[in-house]
Amino acid sequence: MFGFLKQVGDYTRDAVSAAQYLGQGLSVTFDHLRRRPVTVQYPYEKLIPSERYRGRIHYEFDKCIACEVCVRVCPINLPVVDWVMNKATKKKELRNYSIDFGVCIFCGNCVEYCPTNCLSMTEEYELAAFDRHSLNYDNVALGRLPTSVTTDPSVVPLRELAYLPKGEMDPHGVDPSRPRAGQLPEQVLETLPKTPAASQAAGTTKGAADA
Amino acid sequence: MVNSLDLQASFEATLEGLGLSPGAAHLLWLPLPMVLVLVAAVVGVLVNVWLERKISAAVQQRIGPEYAGALGILQPMADGLKLLFKEDIIPARADGLLFTLGPVLVLVPVILSWLVVPFGQTMLISNVGIGIFLWIALSSIQPIGLLMSGYASNNKYSLLGGLRAAAQSISYEIPLALAVLAIVMMSNSLSTVDIVNQQTGAGILSWNIWRQPVGFVIFWICALAECERLPFDLPEAEEELVAGYQTEYAGMKFALFYLGSYINLVLSALLVSVLYLGGWSFPIPVEWLAGWLGQPLDAAPVQVITASLGIVMTVLKAYLLVFFAILLRWTVPRVRIDQLLDLGWKFLLPIALVNLLVTAGLKLAFPGVFGG
Repeated sequence: MFGFLKQVGDYTRDAVSAAQYLGQGLSVTFDHLRRRPVTVQYPYEKLIPSERYRGRIHYEFDKCIACEVCVRVCPINLPVVDWVMNKATKKKELRNYSIDFGVCIFCGNCVEYCPTNCLSMTEEYELAAFDRHSLNYDNVALGRLPTSVTTDPSVVPLRELAYLPKGEMDPHGVDPSRPRAGQLPEQVLETLPKTPAASQAAGTTKGAADA
Repeated sequence: MVNSLDLQASFEATLEGLGLSPGAAHLLWLPLPMVLVLVAAVVGVLVNVWLERKISAAVQQRIGPEYAGALGILQPMADGLKLLFKEDIIPARADGLLFTLGPVLVLVPVILSWLVVPFGQTMLISNVGIGIFLWIALSSIQPIGLLMSGYASNNKYSLLGGLRAAAQSISYEIPLALAVLAIVMMSNSLSTVDIVNQQTGAGILSWNIWRQPVGFVIFWICALAECERLPFDLPEAEEELVAGYQTEYAGMKFALFYLGSYINLVLSALLVSVLYLGGWSFPIPVEWLAGWLGQPLDAAPVQVITASLGIVMTVLKAYLLVFFAILLRWTVPRVRIDQLLDLGWKFLLPIALVNLLVTAGLKLAFPGVFGG
């Protein structure tokens, strides 16, 4: 008899706790109903890529010395540097340069190691094509500059979460002149006490940033 | 009993005034409520689909359908149109007759059950004496259709889905019927109108939910299981069974299943509001309100207002329950098949039996409160 009563009691306790958990879960989902979505309506609105975004690679033909460092640092030796030795001038003569973005992993090693800075990374990420071979960019295609999100009249640029002012969660309708949360390194350095060493350090950082 | 709006009587009286025989007038009246309820059911499904998508989106902090009409309100219409124009495919090795008959057998009983859903004292197609029992009987035809389509599809996923659907429907039918039986015992009638009338008198306090809280929970759980709503959507669990018995269906036949499941949800919500939440009755009795405002209940404008209020209240209660079902969908994970059967046979069935016995005892002890 007591065994049975205990069973019934345990059963009831289980049922009650299950109901409690269910209530907890429902309160969580119900609470989410009043949180507004932060959806970016993509083709009409776009996020501004961050400064160090690694998008499609830009290439300046005239700066290139055909040293092939980009090929050596590339994980898959992707860039194709087509040059011939000019016997008369004893100099390399660059004919073509191409990178296949269907294969590139956008690691940025080539940009990092290029001795003449002829390679750089852009903020372009919309590389969709009907044919994968059209992703093989030659030096002309690589030399084109992408349309910036901020200057495109058909797109509403939105700031990413880290670039929003303090307390803002939704990028919609935030005044573009309001500064981002926190301070940039040079702003932090300006607040530091002026010792000769510190001011020198600040000067060099500023110079590096300008370069 | 309050003398409420009787559209049928006035319609037939008008036609007889125009010189028609009583039989012809009745014949002209008959299709009207049927068409009206059919349209109401389909519109209810469209609203339901829209609500489902919008509420799901809100719970997940998305926007949901937005471009088809204002706030995406035409999205279900677009979905329906797409299904209407899609190719109707019958798999080569499937049994064509059973394959076609399956979705029809699923949809027809659900629509037929709207026969007994009251929106007011006389606002139902037919106040049949067996009322709520008709719904229980009709809803047990559904698993035959599901099993039929699962078997005829010649697909292992369909067959498993159909078997699961049948097992689920059969095991949850019993606690469902027992919960209804307790209500029927209290109101001494199977008719839905009588059940609602028994809940009027003291407004919100006289609703059955206060006298049958356990029955309410059992009924709602079983209704969700009968509708194959999450957390009981095992028959179409897409992670294991592709789409269950619907796997091989496309176009309009798939739309019939889709329509059937949503009509069933609205119907279940309506029946919960009829059985437990006082149906068309306002939280404060309209008789009291009319008395305080000094209006006679027999006056035509008052009758129109009370009738519309009744419809609004029924639909409002039903859609509150639908909202709850949608919220529940994003709250609880799907149960396993053994958990499902455990819940049905080892938990709901004994509780429903105890509930029935306790109700019978209380009815004997307090005939005034529990309907002597």
